[in-house]
Amino acid sequence: MSSIPASAFLALALILFCIGLYGALSKRNTVIVLISIELMLNAVNINLVTFSKYGIKPSITGQIFALFAITVAAAEAAVGLAILIALYRNRKTVNIDEMDTMKH
Amino acid sequence: MTFSGEFIAFMLLALAAVIGGVLLLNLTNVVHMIIALVFTFVSIAGIYILLSAEFIAGAQILIYSGAITIIMLFGIMLTKHNDTSEGKPSLWRRLFLLLGVLGFAFAVYIGIYNLDLAPQTNHLHENNTLQIGKALYSKHIIPFELTSVLLLVALVGSIILAKKDEKGGE
Amino acid sequence: MMETAWIIPLFPLLSFLILLLFGRRLKEASAFVGILLTLASLVYSILVLFERFTAPTYKSEAAWLNIGDLHLTAGFEVNQLNALMLVIVSLVSCLVHTYSKGYMHGDERIPVFYAYLGLFTFAMQGLVLSPNLLQTYIFWELVGVGSFLLIGFYFYKEEAKAAAKKAFIMTRIGDVGLLIGMILLFWQTNSFEYDEIFKAVREGAISQGWITLTALLIFVGAVGKSGQFPLHTWLPDAMEGPTPVSALIHAATMVAAGVYLVAALFPLFAASKTALLTIAIIGAFTAIFAASIGLVQTDIKRVLAYSTVSQLGYMMLALGSAGYVAGVFHLMTHAFFKALLFLAAGSVIHAVHTQNIEEMGGLWKKLRLTGPLFLIGTLAISGVPLLSGFFSKDEILAAAWEGGHPILFLLAVIAAFFTAFYMFRLFFMVFTGEARSEMKHVHESPGVMTLPMIVLGVLAVISGYVNTPWFGTFLGDWLTKGNDSLGHSHVEGPGWIMIVATLVSLAGIFLAWLIYGKKSLSRDWLSGRGGALHTILYNKYYIDEFYQLTIVSLTKGMSYFLRFIDLFLVEGIVKGVAGFVQGLGKTGSKVQNGQVQTYGAMAFVGLAVLVVIFALTGGYLK
Repeated sequence: MSSIPASAFLALALILFCIGLYGALSKRNTVIVLISIELMLNAVNINLVTFSKYGIKPSITGQIFALFAITVAAAEAAVGLAILIALYRNRKTVNIDEMDTMKH
Repeated sequence: MTFSGEFIAFMLLALAAVIGGVLLLNLTNVVHMIIALVFTFVSIAGIYILLSAEFIAGAQILIYSGAITIIMLFGIMLTKHNDTSEGKPSLWRRLFLLLGVLGFAFAVYIGIYNLDLAPQTNHLHENNTLQIGKALYSKHIIPFELTSVLLLVALVGSIILAKKDEKGGE
Repeated sequence: MMETAWIIPLFPLLSFLILLLFGRRLKEASAFVGILLTLASLVYSILVLFERFTAPTYKSEAAWLNIGDLHLTAGFEVNQLNALMLVIVSLVSCLVHTYSKGYMHGDERIPVFYAYLGLFTFAMQGLVLSPNLLQTYIFWELVGVGSFLLIGFYFYKEEAKAAAKKAFIMTRIGDVGLLIGMILLFWQTNSFEYDEIFKAVREGAISQGWITLTALLIFVGAVGKSGQFPLHTWLPDAMEGPTPVSALIHAATMVAAGVYLVAALFPLFAASKTALLTIAIIGAFTAIFAASIGLVQTDIKRVLAYSTVSQLGYMMLALGSAGYVAGVFHLMTHAFFKALLFLAAGSVIHAVHTQNIEEMGGLWKKLRLTGPLFLIGTLAISGVPLLSGFFSKDEILAAAWEGGHPILFLLAVIAAFFTAFYMFRLFFMVFTGEARSEMKHVHESPGVMTLPMIVLGVLAVISGYVNTPWFGTFLGDWLTKGNDSLGHSHVEGPGWIMIVATLVSLAGIFLAWLIYGKKSLSRDWLSGRGGALHTILYNKYYIDEFYQLTIVSLTKGMSYFLRFIDLFLVEGIVKGVAGFVQGLGKTGSKVQNGQVQTYGAMAFVGLAVLVVIFALTGGYLK
């Protein structure tokens, strides 16, 4: 069987998730923020696939779930980008600092 | 822990993924960041293979490394792509965030560290694609169909959102 | 009539309300409103009094407040004292109203003046009708308000303003005592009703110590209102008000309230020897103390003011010596002759436009009516035989002698001598001697002013005959009928007391005549002898200065200190709190910068903190 413990995969997923999280919360370019969110989703997918193999009851369902997640992520990226383009057209910026209409 | 080939492969892939992530955070040019992320995505695909999920690995490369990255590049090119120095948020805020992220990582790591899952026998690697196909078209058929609807909605929505305002007509 | 006695105070109240609402339009005619309504009240009071001669005490009460088991009532009571007081108050008030018509003529604020007079009269009448302490206290304070408004009527004069404030504050000091005493009494007897309290006292439901304590505290209230030492200083200053107001305050309303309160609560006081003795001592001391100040004052109204303080001391002495009848009797006679004196003094002031008696003289020929009337008042207050003051003062002296206080008796006799002396000093200086050159166009007051004086003059002569050792003690018998706790109807003092009293007052008059009338003795003869004493007396024993130095400066020092605390400690805390909140708000508003990313970061860090805490403590898994 595999010589790599499950916790190694989970730890990798955690590191990637944290990198994505930090990026999403600190970067100022909206595109990078979107990408960071994709990275976080990827980390989650790793977890899903890991548990699909190492879980108490291994099953293909974990992989199916990961597939769905990838699909939704793709849709999200497309919509996110569309919103970004629309915003850019109106405000001439992709800088997240300047999108503060919620303040008003 | 033995240095099996599997282990070495995992270490290399994990390292590549993490380096890609760190580069994403530290590079200044936006295009370079995307390229760094491609590394991560490809490495993650490798990780999927180690986890006996060949189909997902394929999908990962196709969708992430291919589609999403390209979409993001489009997004960058359509906006201010030459904006290299994006300016960083204030120091206290980054520190604050870093502390939060590290605290979160620490807390979750405690959970992971204590997790001891005995490896189970599984048959995921045998005809992986066939298994996925069977499950997808039998057990998960309704979510699958719903996903197609979701994709359609996303497609239409994206077009409407990104379409130029006809009245405004810049 | 007695069943509807509650209407009596409503007449002045109605006058007050009418003048408050329509005074501007009525102008000088508002005097008629006030006069007519108080006249109505007077007629009603007299009818009630006559009915009370035969009928028993009438008392009517209705529930006012029900708080749990506590039932407060409001109502009115017509007993002998109340009926008598009602007539005195209404009569003096009505005469003062009439007199003011002439005295205040030409003043722009006549409607306001009459409105205040109405309020003042209403308050006093309400006070004497009250059947319980709580109601008494309410009207008591209303009387204080009325006097405050009237003393400060010329509010544009600094002195008047200061005097009004002084009167209010000084009486308030006494009121605190009254309030505490009232609350303690309620605590002990669980009732504000006079009857209930007297019953509790009779049955010994209250311990002797409590009776003494509450009686003394209530007496403090009377001290404040009746201008007894040491709270007397407001009364002379109250002369800043218009002269009719002085007459009203000094004769019937404000200062009489204190004596009335002691008289009304007499059974309570009578139950405590200590309380009675205290009252007698304070009364006697005030009598001689104020009389000695009155010897040297040069302001006509101030002399009268000190004589009031002195006479009130007499009344307190009488009450304190268990001479209930003597006290009330003197209250009545004093009301008449003191009102007469004030109105006559007002007439003099009206004629010569000064209050300084050094600048007067020889007015006897010019004021053909005022002069004799003033003389009647002076004779009455000096205790010359056959006038009202003689009988009541004799009664008081007898009560003091019988009360077993020879020293107090002696003080009272000396005070009587002083009284006779300073009153005739006043009379001689104002009405005899040479007329000043600037007094050419002096003229007698109009009839509207002299008429009330004539009425009072007649009363000042005859009112004493209701209670004399020769013609029967009608008043005393009537006042004490059916109430043994009020003491004897008449104190049969030794015959020599009357002779001593007469001799003493005649001696005082003679001395005054020698110095100020015949001028055979130099005016400096006395003041030269005791230069320092004269100065002390002239400055009223430096009581005001003493208060200024001790209490006022102490209060000021304390208030500075408290202000300092307020500025730096309280304000500091407040500012600190405000600053903290402000800082918090600023930080908060900075965080609310409208960026989703910041919100996300905040939410995430909060989550992270929770997660870390759970991870470290074991959280739900524990």
